[in-house]
Amino acid sequence: MPEPLLALEAVTLTAPEGRPVFHDLDWRLDRGGRFHVRAGSGGGCTALLRLCAGIAEPDRGRVVLDGVPLSPDLHHPFLARGALGWVPSDGGLTVNLTLLDNVALPLRFVLGQGRAAAERTALELLEQAGLGPQARQRPAVPGDRVSWLVSLVRAAAKGSRLWLVDRPAGGLDAASIRAAGDLLDRAAQDPEATLLLVGGDWMSRFGEELQVGNGRVSAGRES
Amino acid sequence: MESMVTGSRSPSLPVRWACSLGAKVRLAFAQLGSLSWLLAQGAKGLLRLRPEQVRVVREVTRMQIRFTALDALPLCLLTAILLGGVTLLQVFGQLSAFGMERDLSQIMAQLVIRELGPLMVGILVLTRSGTAIAAEMASRKLSGELDALYVCGVDPIRYLLLPRLLGGVISVFSLVILFDTVALLGGFLVAWLRMPLSLTFYLDALGEAIGRRDLIATFTKCLVFGTAIPLICTSCGLRVKRSTTEIPQAVTKASVMSLLVLLLSGALLSVLIYA
Repeated sequence: MPEPLLALEAVTLTAPEGRPVFHDLDWRLDRGGRFHVRAGSGGGCTALLRLCAGIAEPDRGRVVLDGVPLSPDLHHPFLARGALGWVPSDGGLTVNLTLLDNVALPLRFVLGQGRAAAERTALELLEQAGLGPQARQRPAVPGDRVSWLVSLVRAAAKGSRLWLVDRPAGGLDAASIRAAGDLLDRAAQDPEATLLLVGGDWMSRFGEELQVGNGRVSAGRES
Repeated sequence: MESMVTGSRSPSLPVRWACSLGAKVRLAFAQLGSLSWLLAQGAKGLLRLRPEQVRVVREVTRMQIRFTALDALPLCLLTAILLGGVTLLQVFGQLSAFGMERDLSQIMAQLVIRELGPLMVGILVLTRSGTAIAAEMASRKLSGELDALYVCGVDPIRYLLLPRLLGGVISVFSLVILFDTVALLGGFLVAWLRMPLSLTFYLDALGEAIGRRDLIATFTKCLVFGTAIPLICTSCGLRVKRSTTEIPQAVTKASVMSLLVLLLSGALLSVLIYA
């Protein structure tokens, strides 16, 4: 059996208010796998994404990414080379940078591109997503919906190998769904890209459906 | 005996008092450990910066210097001129009583360069920039920005902490030089209004009064204060956990802790260098 890109091994996670989210969970995400978790199930979709990204630390068990366990004491090599595309609900953008700089920053800092080249790539992708006119604004001006889309652009710009995408805060209009769909379509065409998406029905075409709930992660829709 | 082992009986007041003391000592050591860890990470980050990261860090450092030093310049210069003038008036009054007006330059140089300059600049940088750094870090942590940067591969230690440390040291250093210059010249202006004193005489006397030890003391204090303020403020800001109500608490804690460190380290360095 090939080594999975991501493996949760006997993971137990408790929510801050003391509610158990996962108990003794074993789950693996194979390389090139594409999964969609229907948003609104409320069973720990975001917690699963945060575990996979190493942002949430399990109470017990471990999360192994690309063969190396995630640990707060180590800047994981997979993360350090910018291979993870993290798209949280609010976009998680740096508020004192423009949208353009937010996309260009990992290209410069992680991938070592020059400023002009990074900004050119960033602007091109932002324009493709219909965000060209807002490129010089800071995230607070256009709001969470645009920030989420920009975060998706950032994941695409750095050629992420693992996409962890949470549902956008506040919903998307038709144009944003089209732009996000185009970006995810392009990601899905890359055979090495692995996608774990949480979102509305429009995301279902990008992967197999997963159910997250009652402390379990399982394939298919529950009846 | 069994009750002591199982803890069924509550401990006596002296034991509880000793325990609370122990907890405070433990907390102080934990904070010291956390600061040392952060400083070590910053130093490690500086040594491991890749050339393309140097450019980004330089840009952020430049912004930090602009905010910490350039924007603080009017306040710093006003404080220097007022403090230099007032100090000189007080010192002049005392010296006149003993007919020792000619020692004015020496006393001013020692007061301003050894003690007042670095300390006042440290306090100004703490109140303007240190508090801002603590609030910024706390809100970045609560909004998930730090997590997003980390996960995207942008090491927050290199991208956020390092420029603040470098910017802090450069800013404190530059402001202290300006502060000392303006305070001493402001002092001369006040003295000149009160007594016939030539600028050449004043500057010559200053030159004689300022020794190598004074410069070592000033530069060491600049380095310590410029590192300590951003380091403590970043550390306090990063300790928030969930709620935005923790932000003002973090800022207060950062201010108090930094001020204590400024006063203690300033006094300690003076004792070490001049004792």
